[in-house]
Amino acid sequence: MRVGKIITAVCTLLLAGLVLTGCGGGEEKPAATSEKKAEPIRVGGLVDLSGPTSSVGAPYAEGLKGGVEYVNGLGGVNGRPIVFDLQDTAYKVQQGLSLYKKMVNTDHVVCIQGYGSAVTEALVPTLAKDKVPNLSASYSAHLTDPKVAPYNFFSAADYSTQCRAAIKYFKDGWTESRAPRIAFIYPDHPYGLAPIKGGKEYAKELGFEIVGEANVALNAIDATTELLPLKDAAPDYCWIGGTTPSTSVILKSAKNIGMNTTFFINIWGCDENLSKLAGADADGVYSNQAAAVYGQDVPGMKAIMEITGNQPQMTHYTRGFVSALVMAEGMKRALANGELTGESLKTALETLRDFDPMGLAPLISYFPDDHRPNMAVFLYTVKDGKLTFVKEQILERREDWLGH
Amino acid sequence: MQGKCGLFFTSYRAEAQVFPSGFQKSMVGLFLAILCAAPFVLNTHLTSIVNLVFISVIGAVSLNLLTGVCGQISLGHGAFLGVGAYAAGQCSVHGVPFPLAILTGGLVTALVGMVFGVPSLRLKGIYLAIATLAAQLVLEYVFLHGGALTGGSNGLLLKPPSILGFAFDSEIRMYFLLLAFAAGALLMVTNIMRSKYGRAFVSIRDFHLSAEIVGVNLFRYKLVAFGVSSFLAGVAGGLWGHYTGYISAEQFNIGLSISYLAMIIIGGLGSVLGSVFGAVFIVLLPEVLNALANTLAGFWPGIALHVVAMREGVFGLVLILFLIFEPEGLAHRWRLIKAYWKLYPFAH
Repeated sequence: MRVGKIITAVCTLLLAGLVLTGCGGGEEKPAATSEKKAEPIRVGGLVDLSGPTSSVGAPYAEGLKGGVEYVNGLGGVNGRPIVFDLQDTAYKVQQGLSLYKKMVNTDHVVCIQGYGSAVTEALVPTLAKDKVPNLSASYSAHLTDPKVAPYNFFSAADYSTQCRAAIKYFKDGWTESRAPRIAFIYPDHPYGLAPIKGGKEYAKELGFEIVGEANVALNAIDATTELLPLKDAAPDYCWIGGTTPSTSVILKSAKNIGMNTTFFINIWGCDENLSKLAGADADGVYSNQAAAVYGQDVPGMKAIMEITGNQPQMTHYTRGFVSALVMAEGMKRALANGELTGESLKTALETLRDFDPMGLAPLISYFPDDHRPNMAVFLYTVKDGKLTFVKEQILERREDWLGH
Repeated sequence: MQGKCGLFFTSYRAEAQVFPSGFQKSMVGLFLAILCAAPFVLNTHLTSIVNLVFISVIGAVSLNLLTGVCGQISLGHGAFLGVGAYAAGQCSVHGVPFPLAILTGGLVTALVGMVFGVPSLRLKGIYLAIATLAAQLVLEYVFLHGGALTGGSNGLLLKPPSILGFAFDSEIRMYFLLLAFAAGALLMVTNIMRSKYGRAFVSIRDFHLSAEIVGVNLFRYKLVAFGVSSFLAGVAGGLWGHYTGYISAEQFNIGLSISYLAMIIIGGLGSVLGSVFGAVFIVLLPEVLNALANTLAGFWPGIALHVVAMREGVFGLVLILFLIFEPEGLAHRWRLIKAYWKLYPFAH
């Protein structure tokens, strides 16, 4: 019975705690910070720090924090420091929505630095209603169409563009007279499926022969069964659209069955951990990246190295850093035009033309009717366990690709 | 019916009232008045949390009718919510008025629930759990590969609901809409439970053979339980879809089904009030942990991330503690508290 009383007491305390934390905030309208010197600019961060994608979410969030620290170190945006409120969504829509509402309605953030597809996509209509931009790390192509998602931005090329760019690179390097053969391996998951249609269509357009596809789950521990039919189809190139753990499983299984093909991997499927997981099996694979790797010889790397105290960071860190730089540039332009609100930040971001995030990522532009940041991808290959830069592949900005 | 001392009934009808005493009626009235005043006092964030509670209450009470009252365990409830969300969403996209869209969502889900409920005649307990888990997996696949019907991996975008030109496009407006739906769902399940259907469900739960011997048609009643429960789940799903404005396959995964099971276990199986307690508890738990982490971060920088990382663990721990120390859920604790005050100061 005493335990029962303890449970009653704990429940009462939890409820009381919530009521107390809820006190002191009335009904107020979303962000409208007037231009005053040194008044901080509030930014909300919704990243998966403890959920299924936290292994990449955590370094990405560190990058966001690093970027904000860098901007603040330079005196902030027009003298106003950025206050970054990072919260964990655990990749849960309900939690993300709830945190978002608190950030926008109670804390009056000007914009959101978002992350995973589940929360980003769920927020799309709410952002448009509240007029709050979301610079996220969910690179689904349909978010680049302002007709569908007017307040969504991201600073890396969308998944489809990245896939197309890699396909173009391989086609340009193809010397044999027969058509190159290509296959697609991806998880049956919104993220995995996102670039497949666009990738296949472009491969066909360039004269590839699509010889097969396979579904490998993100939590797979072996992919031999799925890969055996592909081995018989003997593709020259194989797209892998998974995460780093699932990619390492695919690479190891492919090696086991003696599959001889060139793998190229989506942005979340290859990072510094791939070689640790797959060992020598990862050597020779190609990886799409949208930001420089740690230590690469680009102007912005010095800033990152200073902030991180020369402690190597994953490539996701750089992307978070770039996202913060893009946001700060948008804020600077919005303040130059007058008041900084979600709406003015959106308008300011849409004036970016070939903004250079210190070489850390390809040049970034947004247009009022086209939120594709660029049509470029950094191609890397894994050499002796290290990501080695190969080329920045740039595609034309085709109208019919917008949103697909 | 256990009434207060001095309360007696001269007819069965009087005894079967939902609120038999005047005190109860006034308390419910007071509670409703507080609920109606709440959004004007609470800030937008807290209102949105209560909105989530309302939706969860509908989902939890529907699962409680199936699992708590009728004894048919379901691990596919999250997917049933999804069916309702997509069906209602498609109706809205095609211009069907909101109330009709929600109704259609519920009916489609009832149909789907009944199809997956058919094995319940032969399967019980863990076997039925696996059969409904299969429903969850099959439906998740359909959500992701449904083409234009479900929007595939892109999902469906919805506009805020509107009734006769009145748009529910703010938290406060949604609050009253969801409150009405939640109250309606609670009333519906309460009434089902005191009808012959409710008694049949309980008899099936307690021992199917005895139920059959006294003339309960097992197959029919089990199907009705699946149908009604899925209908309400569909309504909850439809409301969720219209509330968030976006539906995707990822939202209706096995995790959601487990959350709903946790709600009815923590709240109290077979109790309408328990469903409400469970929904409130599960929706508030992450919020309270977040608030706790943020408060602690003021004194102890860096602790926030640890508390956040512990959240899933805390969720599991709470479930285990409830199963060990309060297996009948919060509803049972509530009854004990009421009894304590009724007998006070003579506890024994």
